[in-house]
Amino acid sequence: MQDLLYFSQQLINGLTIGSTYALIAIGYTMVYGIIGMINFAHGEIYMIGAYTALIAITGLASLGVVWLPLILIVALVCAMIVSSSMGWAVERVAYRPVRGRHRLIPLISAIGMSIFLQNYVHLAQGSRNIGFPALIEGGFTFGSDGAFQMSLSYMQITIFITTLICMTALSLFIARSRTGRACRAVSQDLGMANLLGIDTNRIISATFVIGAALAAVAGLLLGMYYGSVDPLFGFIAGLKAFTAAVLGGIGSIPGAMLGGLILGVSESMTSGYLSGEYKDVVSFGLLILILLFKPTGLLGKPEVEKI
Amino acid sequence: MRTSVKKLATAVSTSIALMGAGHAAAEIQIGIAGPMTGPVAQYGDMQFSGARMAIQQINANGGVMGEELVGVEYDDVCDPKQAVTVANNLVNDGVRFVVGHLCSSSTQPASDIYEDEGILMVTPASTSPEITERGYELVFRTIGLDSMQGPVAGNYIASLNPERVAIVHDKQQYGEGIATAVRDTLKDKGVEIAMFEGITAGDKDFSSLVTKLKQADVDYVYYGGYHPELGLILRQARQGDLDAVFMGPEGVGNKDINTIAGEAAEGLLVTLPPSFDQKAENQKLVKAFESKGEDPSGPFVLTSYAAVQLIADGIAKAESTDPFDVAAALRGGAYETPIGTVEYDKAGDMKSFEFVVYEWHSDGSKTPVN
Repeated sequence: MQDLLYFSQQLINGLTIGSTYALIAIGYTMVYGIIGMINFAHGEIYMIGAYTALIAITGLASLGVVWLPLILIVALVCAMIVSSSMGWAVERVAYRPVRGRHRLIPLISAIGMSIFLQNYVHLAQGSRNIGFPALIEGGFTFGSDGAFQMSLSYMQITIFITTLICMTALSLFIARSRTGRACRAVSQDLGMANLLGIDTNRIISATFVIGAALAAVAGLLLGMYYGSVDPLFGFIAGLKAFTAAVLGGIGSIPGAMLGGLILGVSESMTSGYLSGEYKDVVSFGLLILILLFKPTGLLGKPEVEKI
Repeated sequence: MRTSVKKLATAVSTSIALMGAGHAAAEIQIGIAGPMTGPVAQYGDMQFSGARMAIQQINANGGVMGEELVGVEYDDVCDPKQAVTVANNLVNDGVRFVVGHLCSSSTQPASDIYEDEGILMVTPASTSPEITERGYELVFRTIGLDSMQGPVAGNYIASLNPERVAIVHDKQQYGEGIATAVRDTLKDKGVEIAMFEGITAGDKDFSSLVTKLKQADVDYVYYGGYHPELGLILRQARQGDLDAVFMGPEGVGNKDINTIAGEAAEGLLVTLPPSFDQKAENQKLVKAFESKGEDPSGPFVLTSYAAVQLIADGIAKAESTDPFDVAAALRGGAYETPIGTVEYDKAGDMKSFEFVVYEWHSDGSKTPVN
């Protein structure tokens, strides 16, 4: 019973962090699916989302707003707007001018953008860790007193539910809406979609904006869950989310979700049963194994050479 | 025409040489190397504030041997690679005395360069024993060692009769070093160590660690490392209903831990250098800091002040600005500083340095417990 509770607790920890990896991974996978390019500045968009949410929360608190749902909604909307416009601007400035060139050029441009954004936040917000208020506190506990008790916090539940809503909405959007259909068409064949009258530039911008908005959601959620933000934390989170996207099959949206969850759970199980020191070893080792035996990732489709 | 060009060239080079010489005669450069940016920049603030004050006051009293001290500041971001770059810059800039670095993992590689290039270094904050273990002639500290701080923490935990203790560290030179010292002390006292584990500095998710600590049913957790990680661990431990007392070294004892951990910082135990700013003989100095709007209570403010003062006193005693002469003078005498009387052993460590256990509060204040 004790062991089962311990296992469940580690599973919950892993799924929580995994869901947010998945939210960030969507941004990588959508951009890759459509223009075949890796947006290395995506981690920074996520970090900016977290900072914007923190600024919004602090601003509302200083105005004397105490009603929690209002604070959360305003913070979320602000973060999504700022991150999305950042995503849009990044695409216009750093990717559109070099699109269609040699593959290395947009890659370098993306890395440059990432360094620029990191340092921009360093300058604008300072380099210290800033505490993030825990707005959602408390939770359920399971198990008897005196022994190991499993806890499921309201914050973790919020993360699950929000991720679920975002993922469902995104799937419906891609499957049903007009823009979603255009997205799929562009990802199949950019040139042909263009010939058939789809405004591909608009679709590519939309992809960046959607990815950035989801990253902003993750930024707010993780900021509250962990408790602090710093200008460098987008880099590590971005790396993990990128791993999740590759693990699940880059270019595939369900793959990003699956990859995120697998990565999160394997990390928490490693720190729970082995040692926290091996956490990253196991998750990146997993990535290497999957790339060796299934290079397209778990749910990725093999790329067909077009003649 | 040719001769006039030659003459001009000679004249220019002579005047440059003279300017250079004049420059050197009027001032002694003191390099201050520490983190101005990065996650532990607040410790850098303490270091720079203390060192600037010392330079200002020494100059106001006529300088050293009639020469003015000039502070030259460098940012190492507390990153070992950056520290090496900074050390090389110092060499190129012709600086011969350094107050720094702050993080042990920066001080260690930088000190190799200083020793090779004949630059005298006084670190106001690095506590890793390895720094002075290599028989270097030009390396000094104005702070104690982990091998002094670890036993203070270990003995204190042992005196509370704990059932099970966990030790966590950030795998860096400072954090792991002090965690090992605490573990050894506790082992000698026969205390059960339930866990000894590393985390990754810069990580944000400690939920698995907290769950593990809860499973191990520990009543004390010692953390070797800095405040950004411990702040998050404290906060996530509170959210995860972990009921244990945390303790950390001076690297966690600053007010930034409160902005991260909030209420969860209440009751944290910290070993710190004694509050030099509370000593009666330092009150004039404390006023000088306060009139500049600076806070002298940080653990490294007065150790940095003392580092600059020791360099100045060493130069005055040696009557030379040669770093080797100054090093010999520092080893050969006793110096009165705001951190007490400083005497050096052969390795460059202070002969005595005391660490005190404080209880930290959620408003950022602290009270001594022993």
